[in-house]
Amino acid sequence: MRLFAVGLSHRTAPVELRETVDFARKGLENALAELSGRGAGRELVVLSTCNRAEIYAVGDTDETAEQVGRFFSDYHEIPHDHVRDHLYVHRGPDAARHLFRVAAGLDSLVVGEPQILGQVKAAYAIASDGQFTAALTNRLFHSAFTVGKRVRSETGLGEGAVSVSYAAIALAKKIFGDLNGRAVLILGAGEMAKLTGIHLRAQHVRKITIASRTLSTAQNLAARLEGVAVAWDSIDRALSSADIVVTATGASEPVLTRARVDEAMRHRRNRPLFVIDIAVPRDVDPAVGQLDQVFLYNIDDLRTIVQENLARRGAELARAEAIVDEEVARYAAWMQSREIVPTVVALRQRFEAIRRAELQRLEPKLSGLPPEAKARVDEVTRLIVEKLLLTPTEQLKAVSDEAMIVAYADALNRLFSLAQDKDRDQVAPEEESEVSS
Amino acid sequence: MHLLPLLLYAAAAAAYIAHFAWRDPRVGRLATGLLAGGVLAHTFLIGMQTVQAGHAPLVGTSAAISAFVWLLGLSYLYIELTSDERSMGVFISVLLVGLDIIPALDPAVTPRPPVLQSPLFTVHVMSLLFAYASFALACVLGVIYVLLFKEIKAKQLGFFYARLPPLASLDLMNSRAITVGWAFLTIGVLVGLIWAWQVKGSPAPDPRVQAMSLADPKILVALVSWGIYSFALFARKAAGWSGRRAAYLSGIAFAVVLLNFVLVGYFLTASHNF
Repeated sequence: MRLFAVGLSHRTAPVELRETVDFARKGLENALAELSGRGAGRELVVLSTCNRAEIYAVGDTDETAEQVGRFFSDYHEIPHDHVRDHLYVHRGPDAARHLFRVAAGLDSLVVGEPQILGQVKAAYAIASDGQFTAALTNRLFHSAFTVGKRVRSETGLGEGAVSVSYAAIALAKKIFGDLNGRAVLILGAGEMAKLTGIHLRAQHVRKITIASRTLSTAQNLAARLEGVAVAWDSIDRALSSADIVVTATGASEPVLTRARVDEAMRHRRNRPLFVIDIAVPRDVDPAVGQLDQVFLYNIDDLRTIVQENLARRGAELARAEAIVDEEVARYAAWMQSREIVPTVVALRQRFEAIRRAELQRLEPKLSGLPPEAKARVDEVTRLIVEKLLLTPTEQLKAVSDEAMIVAYADALNRLFSLAQDKDRDQVAPEEESEVSS
Repeated sequence: MHLLPLLLYAAAAAAYIAHFAWRDPRVGRLATGLLAGGVLAHTFLIGMQTVQAGHAPLVGTSAAISAFVWLLGLSYLYIELTSDERSMGVFISVLLVGLDIIPALDPAVTPRPPVLQSPLFTVHVMSLLFAYASFALACVLGVIYVLLFKEIKAKQLGFFYARLPPLASLDLMNSRAITVGWAFLTIGVLVGLIWAWQVKGSPAPDPRVQAMSLADPKILVALVSWGIYSFALFARKAAGWSGRRAAYLSGIAFAVVLLNFVLVGYFLTASHNF
């Protein structure tokens, strides 16, 4: 049994192709069922995001990878030639490494972005609910979740916002904690104002107030953001009740002067005020930042933060890769032990069964012997079996190559007609608990 | 035995520092474990001293500091376990180590003079020590508030920005710590007043009891600190003195408390030198 990862991502395929190859469109369950119906792979997980489409499959031979690769084009009804050159295939531990890197966000367009781990979890949950997973993929995906969690908690890879809007929100959270219950004032109703407003709305702020020089544009944006539009000349009142102010007007002169904000601060009894000036030219007089309890960030400040965060993420890469290496080694060792151990056990059980059967058959002849002699016979036969199995057992345990393990297991199964262990694909109870812990 | 808490506090401080620098959650858990071990060992130590002396070891500055360190460690552990926030630990544990050196060097339990054999005395000392532990927490919260505030204000998002909880949370915890501390400070001072009034009437008053008046530095400075904390609470409610001002105030006020506790306690007081 081998693990395969077949797929395409933003690294190998242009966006048009990624848009076409979208397993999520008709539902992952559907894709899984169809792929399973073709007999491609015994265990299957399909992962489909806007930046990647990947199928994790367990099969016996490379044929599985081939079948899965064809499925990419067949399922989406496009010529295989269009897809083939963009597909990558990873096998065994490399497949595990690939998934672990994906789950950790190391393979993402924006390195370290956290959404991918949730997407991997969702993809696994769907496959698992549909009973398309078993021991190998169960363990694989739980290890991937571990990698994702460890990379997030032990490295700074996912830290720091890498877009201006998120940098502003991260700052707001560092000042106010939860933004739930905070009031926002947006000055301006253009595209930038709208974008930032949408991000803030997603943080469940209590109230969004929008003011623009023309009331109707403010009202349009207010409708979009479920906010309130106010007239331009009443922004002073709105200013004193807001916690976060976003300025994005097209004004050529500063809208918020130091005196104006100072006055507002007096009414708000010194509660902190976070002013985000994303307008160019600036809407807020830089002197406003000197006021106590006022935090002023303009677009350049936010861009600098984003640049620094990107640089810092780069530095954390090596630590994240080390975690991936560690977990890949652990998973590979587990896979290996899993492959050969059942064969060794079955072989030994087979020999022991033969020995017992022979002793049973000789029972009438042995019954005349004194008890010590009978015990001696038993011991000698046991020793012979032990001796016969000693070298094969050692040799088998020393095999490290995955393909060789499969070959050996296969040969032994045939030579000694070992019991075909149908349960091998199922997770044993103790493994299950280990996986879920 | 009397060095064990100090050693564990020091080990915890080292682990908290390592955790703060590298943010490895395993080191963080180790730090919490070591601190919990230190507090446990300290509990045993104080328990043993209580059994040996037949009363709680609260007499003398060294014993009082020991009890203070124990209460502070316990209070901090409570906050850490309920808020799941470890970043204060590095400051608290260093403070614990610094203060616990004094009782570790001077572990002998001072026998309790007859005049102190009143339950009111124990209530008085324990309330004040608990108040001081709360004020120490408030001070640490204030210090880290200012560190974070300065980074955000100066747009230099760096070391502390990545490690400390939001300003609003720090401010809220600071406000709670000061409220709790102020309540216990008030109780402690009132109980002390009642107790002094009781023993002054006894037939042969202790000379130290005679010295109990507003002119004694220990009592005077205690009332000054009560005044500062009352002002801090009032200013927050009435004039919006939150955030950075509250943070500075809790630092200054705790400096006064510490001065009273250690310097005045050792050298200047005529009424509280037991």
